[in-house]
Amino acid sequence: MTASLDSGAARACAAARTDGAIGSRFDERFLRKLESLALTIRRTTAGRSHGMRRSRRVGAGLEFADHRDYVPGDDLRYLDWNLYGRLERRALRLYEEDEDLSIDVLVDASASMAMGRPPKLELALQIGAALAYVGLSNLDRVAVTALGAEAAGPPPARGKARILPILRFLDAVHPLQGSSRTSRTSLTAAVREFLSRRRGRRRGLVVLVSDFYDPAGARAALELVRRHRLEAIAIQLSAPDELAPQLRGDLQLYDAETGEVRDLTVSPDALADYARRHATLLRELRGYCREHAVPCFTLSSDQPFDAVVLRMFRTGGLLG
Amino acid sequence: MELGGLAQVINATLGASGALSATAAAVIGVAGAAAITAFYLLRLRRRRVVVAFAPLWLGAAGAERATSRTRRLRHWLSLALALTLFAAILLGAVDPGRGRPGPGAPGPGALKQGQFDGGGRSLVLLIDRSASMSATDEVGSRLAAARRRADEIIGGLTGADRALVASFAADASAESGFESDPHRLRRAIAGVTPSDEPGDLQRALAFAAAILRGRPRPTVVLVSDGGFTDDARRRAPSDPDGRALDVRYAPVGRRADNLAILSLAARRIPADPGAVETALVVQSFRPTASTAAVEISSGGTVVEKVNLTLTPGERRRLTLPNLFAPDARVEARLTGADDLADDDQARATIPPLPRRRILRVGGPDLYLDGALLGLGRTVQVDRLPAADADRALARARDYDLVVFDGVTPSAPPAAGRYLYFDPQGAGNPFAAAGAVRPTRPVRDPVIDPASLHREHPLLRELDLADVNVAEAHRLVLGPGDVALAASFDVPLIVTRERPALRIAALAFDPRRSDLPMRPAFPLLIANALGWATRQTDNAAADPPLVDAGGTARDARESDTTPVPALALGGRVLAAPDPPAPHFRARFGSWALMLAAALLLFDWLSYHRRWTT
Repeated sequence: MTASLDSGAARACAAARTDGAIGSRFDERFLRKLESLALTIRRTTAGRSHGMRRSRRVGAGLEFADHRDYVPGDDLRYLDWNLYGRLERRALRLYEEDEDLSIDVLVDASASMAMGRPPKLELALQIGAALAYVGLSNLDRVAVTALGAEAAGPPPARGKARILPILRFLDAVHPLQGSSRTSRTSLTAAVREFLSRRRGRRRGLVVLVSDFYDPAGARAALELVRRHRLEAIAIQLSAPDELAPQLRGDLQLYDAETGEVRDLTVSPDALADYARRHATLLRELRGYCREHAVPCFTLSSDQPFDAVVLRMFRTGGLLG
Repeated sequence: MELGGLAQVINATLGASGALSATAAAVIGVAGAAAITAFYLLRLRRRRVVVAFAPLWLGAAGAERATSRTRRLRHWLSLALALTLFAAILLGAVDPGRGRPGPGAPGPGALKQGQFDGGGRSLVLLIDRSASMSATDEVGSRLAAARRRADEIIGGLTGADRALVASFAADASAESGFESDPHRLRRAIAGVTPSDEPGDLQRALAFAAAILRGRPRPTVVLVSDGGFTDDARRRAPSDPDGRALDVRYAPVGRRADNLAILSLAARRIPADPGAVETALVVQSFRPTASTAAVEISSGGTVVEKVNLTLTPGERRRLTLPNLFAPDARVEARLTGADDLADDDQARATIPPLPRRRILRVGGPDLYLDGALLGLGRTVQVDRLPAADADRALARARDYDLVVFDGVTPSAPPAAGRYLYFDPQGAGNPFAAAGAVRPTRPVRDPVIDPASLHREHPLLRELDLADVNVAEAHRLVLGPGDVALAASFDVPLIVTRERPALRIAALAFDPRRSDLPMRPAFPLLIANALGWATRQTDNAAADPPLVDAGGTARDARESDTTPVPALALGGRVLAAPDPPAPHFRARFGSWALMLAAALLLFDWLSYHRRWTT
């Protein structure tokens, strides 16, 4: 899939921003960056496809995919007569069918995503908006969901003009408070709930933007997605002060998601333990993704979203 | 708060004497311990920090340690350390050595039965910073030695003593207030700087007495080299109420090794303003005979040098007439090293030359104009043509000198100051009486060296030997006229001095000689101006040299002879009490060091919180 940009859509975004339809999160500067980003991605991925993503569904496409044995009732037009002449075996030629892709962008809006300076949620929403815009530009069917949010996202849509409802939705997303009931729901549970709502839709691509801080383990949510025969992309975000905490002394730790309170003396040893555990979490996530051919990106929340998205497309594995 | 400051606050709160009773100490101790404990309990409250994912932290080693007994024990140990620290400070403030009698306190017999000696001395440390204290016979200087001596005295103070540091030279000033903190007193001592003024002992003692008025056990410790006048030593010190003052004397100074210029004066000689006369007084304060050289310089150039041999204590006056001084300032310097460098040099300022006016009458004469230009900017030269020679006579009173350059007015002058070059005709002041026809010129006259009046101001520093003159006219001398130079019986340079009239004349036209080509010619013009303007009134001629503006020193400050014992009012001053080792100094230092060590330990063990 490649990105194409209608400048009219960008103008519509700008007009919506001027009218106050979009809040301060996606400001004029963001929209300009988005526009520039879409242009850059289109140049980067030009030639890889023809504006459509090839699905794995076998049907009335043009490109040969495989053979299967003939069964009565099959369309004789697809019978491979050459094969029958050589081997006297009746088999049908199968072709890959071109179809529009269904993309679900899942942004983790749990309380832990509000942590960090800058908050991880801000970058997650910006990445979500950028991926949605690129997908819509490629005529894919795009839906955006904020995991754990009270309000549901807009229904799946196609076409660049549908970016406005998505931006409005993302602009209204706020991190959950640790004391709320929904905030205590784990990432896996939120993904399970999303999958149950999605049931009945065609298979497609699920982009999961989260910190993957899940008591069930970082891989559990991705495992769930794969079990539903969906392609998955993992984008893991960490705040700089989560990668290298500046805490010292006797502290009372308050878990942002569970509200659990524990006393801790942060010494150099404790910091080393923390760093080891955090590295293990990331290593496990990357290992799982590598094992199952799931594109995985680990990012720091202080990076600019446009550079991050561009890097994803350049390194490959994302939407292209 | 600084620990010494805390002790002072406690002292100030509880009384001027600074005594802290056991009851007061107990009250402060209980209140302080309660406050420390309260603050400590508040400190034990952990700071709440929100983290994104607690399981990443909770498996860390610190989670177990946070609630362990050892950790809790460390908290209580930290509190114990804080309380110990407070106790150490309180103990330092209470000062167990306070009740001990300090140096200078009255003996046990002076106290009544059962009376507690809680008060200390009021001590004024009077440091001499007069000129003689700059002598270097002590390590550094006498003032540096005085500072060290004062430091020792401060080290001997008890906790009840209060001391004030003052310094004096011609005037006295306080360098600190009454303090018991040795550090502040030492800072004040270090701030005493040397002065070039003489020391006024009586003024300093009066200052100290005024400060000590009404204070308990007033004591003055004089740290000095004892170089004071007999008059200053004659009076016994007393306070404003007439009570005798306890004055101790701590001498500094090791030897007497000094030569000094006591005074230097320079002036222009009124009779000859171009000349400078210098007078200086040099004295030896060495116990043995010594030689020295005095260099006189002006404008950075040594213009005179005088070698001297002085007997012990000898004072010699030197007068140097006719000194050449190119600059308005004259400086005298004693060569050779001695203990006091400040009095080895002296300066004097010469008043500027008065402004002179010269009227030059005659035609163009580059030689004469060049010589007049060489007189400098203090001389104003006006010019008249030869035809206006008679008008020049009328204006003569406005000028210091009128030069007739080959021109002779129609009549001889009756008043004024004149220089004639080759005067002729009826107006020639040296014409023969009744002469009608001009005399015949004398060809190639030769100056007879024997005829030269070299001592005359007109010929001063002039070398007229071998001057070639083409021709001269015979001048006739009248009564009182003097021929300063002659070619046998032909006068060549003559002068006439009458009341209100001075005339000098050359019997030849300089342009018809090689005199203008010689250095003697501009000198002759300068001498003529000086001779014409010199004063003859003796009453105005010799003002005292010292009034001309120069250096005059107090010989007492240059006399660096040590004074190991000083007597005031006929009574020899006692030495300060030796600094008795007492408990407070050592205890206070140890208490402070202990406090610092405890603070450091507490910080290392508990306070490592530079968290954001």
